[in-house]
Amino acid sequence: MKNRKWLSVMVAALFVIGLTGAVNAGTLEDIAQRGELRVACQTQGPPFSFIDKKGNRTGSSIELCELMAAEMGVKLKFLNYDWDGLIPALLSKKADVLAADMTPTLKRAMKIAFSDPFMYTGSVVFTKADSPFKTVEDCKKPGIKIAVLLGSTGETDAKKAFPQAELKSYKGGGPLLIDAVIKGHADIGVNDGSAVTGGLASFPPNSVRILPGMLSKSPLSFAVRYDSMDLLEWMNLFFLHISLDGRLDQNLNYWVNTMDWKKDH
Amino acid sequence: MTGCPAKDQDRKAKIVLETFNFRIIVEYLPLYWKCFFATLWLSGGGLAGALLVGVLSCSMRLSESRIASTAAGVYIESIRSTPLLAQLYFFYFGLPSLGIRLPEEATGILALTLNSGAYMAEIIRAGIQSISHGQIEAAISSGLNYVQRMRYIILPQALGVSIPPMLGQAIVLVKDSALLSLISIVELTRAGQILTSERFMPAEGFLTTAVFYLIIYYILKTFSNWSQKRLIFRGA
Repeated sequence: MKNRKWLSVMVAALFVIGLTGAVNAGTLEDIAQRGELRVACQTQGPPFSFIDKKGNRTGSSIELCELMAAEMGVKLKFLNYDWDGLIPALLSKKADVLAADMTPTLKRAMKIAFSDPFMYTGSVVFTKADSPFKTVEDCKKPGIKIAVLLGSTGETDAKKAFPQAELKSYKGGGPLLIDAVIKGHADIGVNDGSAVTGGLASFPPNSVRILPGMLSKSPLSFAVRYDSMDLLEWMNLFFLHISLDGRLDQNLNYWVNTMDWKKDH
Repeated sequence: MTGCPAKDQDRKAKIVLETFNFRIIVEYLPLYWKCFFATLWLSGGGLAGALLVGVLSCSMRLSESRIASTAAGVYIESIRSTPLLAQLYFFYFGLPSLGIRLPEEATGILALTLNSGAYMAEIIRAGIQSISHGQIEAAISSGLNYVQRMRYIILPQALGVSIPPMLGQAIVLVKDSALLSLISIVELTRAGQILTSERFMPAEGFLTTAVFYLIIYYILKTFSNWSQKRLIFRGA
């Protein structure tokens, strides 16, 4: 009789402990238990996330995520979206982390939590190599057609810098804008400097010219939901570690600061 | 939860109002109106073109000339076997490489016209071939030539039979116009995309888009009902 009573008390206690565990489980726990880190990345966003000529998904953000997963001891699952689909994917819990060259704007930060920046860039204006536009001032004409990416800071910067222009927002990634400018659908394009330089690698050399000067300065960060503050703390610590031991510089020098990646990908 | 129905309705209304942020939709209504008219005019242009192309290619297909018949056949089969999105991308991204560059709206209407035109041609052909051969024999024995036969006997009856499936294709065309958002045209689906990328509210954005498409659907459906009563020639 006494044994029976003890048994039921033990079972009840274990149940309560199990429940508390479940209630307090944060995203890090979920990831560890699942054994998989789900990452939302861009379908076409060289040099951060793209498909190389061998058909493999690669890029600066992809490799940083591989380092993260190795440190966490979990597998990786990449989910690809167009630029404007990344934040909805994160918010709808399809992904744990958003890994892209996204600027932590205050508007975006109302919905998602950004990590500390891992690099800095800025919006630039680019045009066809033989076009008459030589400076940003030349582009401030009424009716000029500007290719921008739907939902990007380039779109907001272009609206501010060229109020009289006709904006064409493309849904997809950076290379679409370069293609639109080369084909003549738009006179100029506005996007992050790092994305434009990376994207140009797949186009014939000297087909596009980047105008001098930046329209804005943008930090770039990864992001998580506001319910994953434990993951955010871990990610910030991760970036601290890889910037101290040189792996971040190695990654950025290979992918962003030079065109070294073009040899292998 | 056996409450009075009125209280239940209040509770449900409250849940809907709290889940969806209607204030945002009101703020974006001017954009939606603009996009609604853009969709109407793009679909309207596409439909008008499709009817023209449909009638033309159908007559070519049914004519006795081998060349016209084969040419129309190639056009119809290649359109019907490929996805509209692939055709749209070909016209927008592919044609400029061949030296032809059209503005977005023209490309969009061209793609919609050529795509729906092929399906319209098949619908009209089915309508024509459903006319009993007795009619054609009577027309020939009355001394009418091919063009007169088509104009006075065949086409009026065929169009009457074809109107319901043609209106079905018109509804498909309106929904196909959503793909035009992918070549940076600002229409109803793009309005939902804009609300998603500016305010991160895809539910409110695309629900409102759906409501506007429903309005267009009901306009077309009303027209379909009216035309079936007025235009169908019911044989003796």
